[in-house]
Amino acid sequence: MIRLFKGLLLPGCVLGLWQWLVMIQYVKSESLSYPSAIAAAAIGVIQDGTLLVAAAQTFSGAFSGWLVGATLGIVVGIAFGLSQTLSRLMKITVETVRPIPSVALIPLALLIYGYGVLLETSVVAFSCFWPLLIVTESAVRGIEPRLIEVSRMLNFNLFNRVIKIILPAALPRIFVGMRLAAAVALVVSVTVEITANPMGLGYALIVAQESMRADRMFAFIGWIGLIGWSLNTALLNIQYRWFGKMGFWEEQV
Amino acid sequence: MSQLDNRSRSWFFSILVFLGFLGLWQVVATAELISPVFFPAPQKCFVTLYEQMNQPEFWQAFSQTISRMIVGFSIAAFCGVTLGAIIGLSSRARTYIEPTLELIRPLPASAIIPVFILLMGLNDSMIVAVILFSSLWPVLLNTVHGFKTVEPRLLEVAQILHLSQMEVIFKIALPNAMADIFAGLRLSLTVSLILAVVAEMLAGATGLGQNITLAARSFRSADLYAGIMVLGAVGYITNTALAKVERHVLRWRAV
Amino acid sequence: MNATTHNPLLFVESLSFKVNDLEILRDINLSIDDKEFVCIVGASGCGKTTLLRMMAGLLSPTRGHVSYCGQQVVRPHREIAVVFQDYAKALLPWRTVAGNVSLALEGCSVPAAERPQRIHELLCKVGLEDRAEAFPVQLSGGMQQRLQIARCLAQSPQLLLMDEPFGALDAMTRQTLQDEVTRLCRDSGVTVVFITHDLEEAIYLGDRVISMEKMPGKIGETLVIDLPRPRDQLTTRENTKFLAYRHQLFKLLPSGH
Repeated sequence: MIRLFKGLLLPGCVLGLWQWLVMIQYVKSESLSYPSAIAAAAIGVIQDGTLLVAAAQTFSGAFSGWLVGATLGIVVGIAFGLSQTLSRLMKITVETVRPIPSVALIPLALLIYGYGVLLETSVVAFSCFWPLLIVTESAVRGIEPRLIEVSRMLNFNLFNRVIKIILPAALPRIFVGMRLAAAVALVVSVTVEITANPMGLGYALIVAQESMRADRMFAFIGWIGLIGWSLNTALLNIQYRWFGKMGFWEEQV
Repeated sequence: MSQLDNRSRSWFFSILVFLGFLGLWQVVATAELISPVFFPAPQKCFVTLYEQMNQPEFWQAFSQTISRMIVGFSIAAFCGVTLGAIIGLSSRARTYIEPTLELIRPLPASAIIPVFILLMGLNDSMIVAVILFSSLWPVLLNTVHGFKTVEPRLLEVAQILHLSQMEVIFKIALPNAMADIFAGLRLSLTVSLILAVVAEMLAGATGLGQNITLAARSFRSADLYAGIMVLGAVGYITNTALAKVERHVLRWRAV
Repeated sequence: MNATTHNPLLFVESLSFKVNDLEILRDINLSIDDKEFVCIVGASGCGKTTLLRMMAGLLSPTRGHVSYCGQQVVRPHREIAVVFQDYAKALLPWRTVAGNVSLALEGCSVPAAERPQRIHELLCKVGLEDRAEAFPVQLSGGMQQRLQIARCLAQSPQLLLMDEPFGALDAMTRQTLQDEVTRLCRDSGVTVVFITHDLEEAIYLGDRVISMEKMPGKIGETLVIDLPRPRDQLTTRENTKFLAYRHQLFKLLPSGH
């Protein structure tokens, strides 16, 4: 309990100082607003429905992109993991395309799809593909060789081998990759909205900024942070619940 | 000798495969199976790239983006490592500061941009400030982690050998944290490139980000692809350079 | 100091250690003389590592004290070196073999110009002189442990505390290192407190073997080992006295140990 208090002390003081400075007019509130107004705005955006609508839009883009990108990444990752030849042959191609920052693809996706969900889905899918490819390939390679031998002994065809042995064995690490990709998906879709797409939380942020509503702007930032944190915590909980018993390691983001 | 042959052989075939894909792309694009508005032939893209590189405006944009990225990243790296070391080494500092860091961690870096726009306007210093602010966190968080996870046995050894406080920090804590620090630096580098592009797009400032936005808007797909390639190359070169430094510093890991 | 009075190098007096109502050590009394090689044996969990850590100054007793050369040990002493069992964790993975030995010299403020010579001497003593530029991860377990010993000797210690140093090594390496350590310590005139699980190792190495009981940790019997030196892996271990000591110790320690 004391630890919690100590942890909240710093942000509490910062917020308090901020509020006080604005109230005594030392800092002008137009560009930065102040904590109590932001808190009010945070509730306001729920009440007027903007938060829910925007969040739903961001979610649809982020989730669909994550699904597509992660699935493709896992499939290709399994293929690369099982066949070292394939992985080596594709190495140059992968290393050429991977460094392209996903934001560089926004104008291209805009050109192809125009405004809308597909714009987000495509860019998010691109950014989720790579981490899952790498994690899955490494997970498949790292499967206990004994298990692979067992699957050969049991005369499994490729499909069964993948479904019954490879996938379950690699699943813990793949799940970690999916969890990290989910965070990436959220970040990328918000970025797409900030730069191009007129929908979702990122766009709401830009609208608030352009209309000089700093309170709404910070409110949305707070909500985005909260959503990101809750998403990660929820997935972490699932991770520990499903895979905790298989022995887990601490990874850093 | 045969190991060298094996490696160069696999590089060779890998390059062949890549060229094969390029060839396929060329065929599909020339046959216009997909509209050339979105899918220009690679030959056109390379020619456009070459032409671009012959113009001073290109290099101006290029150096603008790179310098913003490098300046932002370097300052963020220095501050991040220093602050991270201070926070990581002091358990008291950690108790007060770590929760705040954890609150900031899930925030998308690009969400901060509107704040900076409001505060600083749409100009060059805003872009550098944005890059600096967002690149700070990965390296800071990772450095804190690196400094707080020193092997306790080594700290006991340091006690027994009567190493001074400074010696413990520089001879034990810092080398131990190096792996984490470099992981953080790599993330920060990626973030700095991304944010440089995004901030340029929003601010409409000269740079590689603006180049591709304008190219897309005027349907100049070859220029667009050329611009994407340049950005990919920037990402690749900066990352490889950092990886080389990392491999040298952490050479004890490779053996 | 009176020449006729017994002045032990290390003296443990009425030492007790409790953690949260759990008594780990109770009323330990020990004295170690200069140049002695004392082995402490006991079942797992009897507190011998805890006792060693207190001698090293890494841990404070709840009652009683440890004195080194007449002074109470409250923190690590410059003349006391410790060889840990988990050698991989006690070595700096980012420094070479030479670099790891150098660390001890740096701690003793040996001037930089003198260090290469001292490092070379020490590495020759432990037989690692041709691996000076290797990293610990490239060495076998036995070599890493030798490196740790070299680093400890670089401190020019008077007292060497060894916590089951060969526990993680295979039998053959263990035997080689047993002889090496005996030789090294005799040559440097170092006093040794050696903790081990292995009864035969304790008898083979020691001038005295102290057995500890467990729950709570107490000193049991002390055996004075009257076997000729230098000891030999084959003949000493066949010696009737050796077997008698072994018999005695075996009966002192609980079954299943």
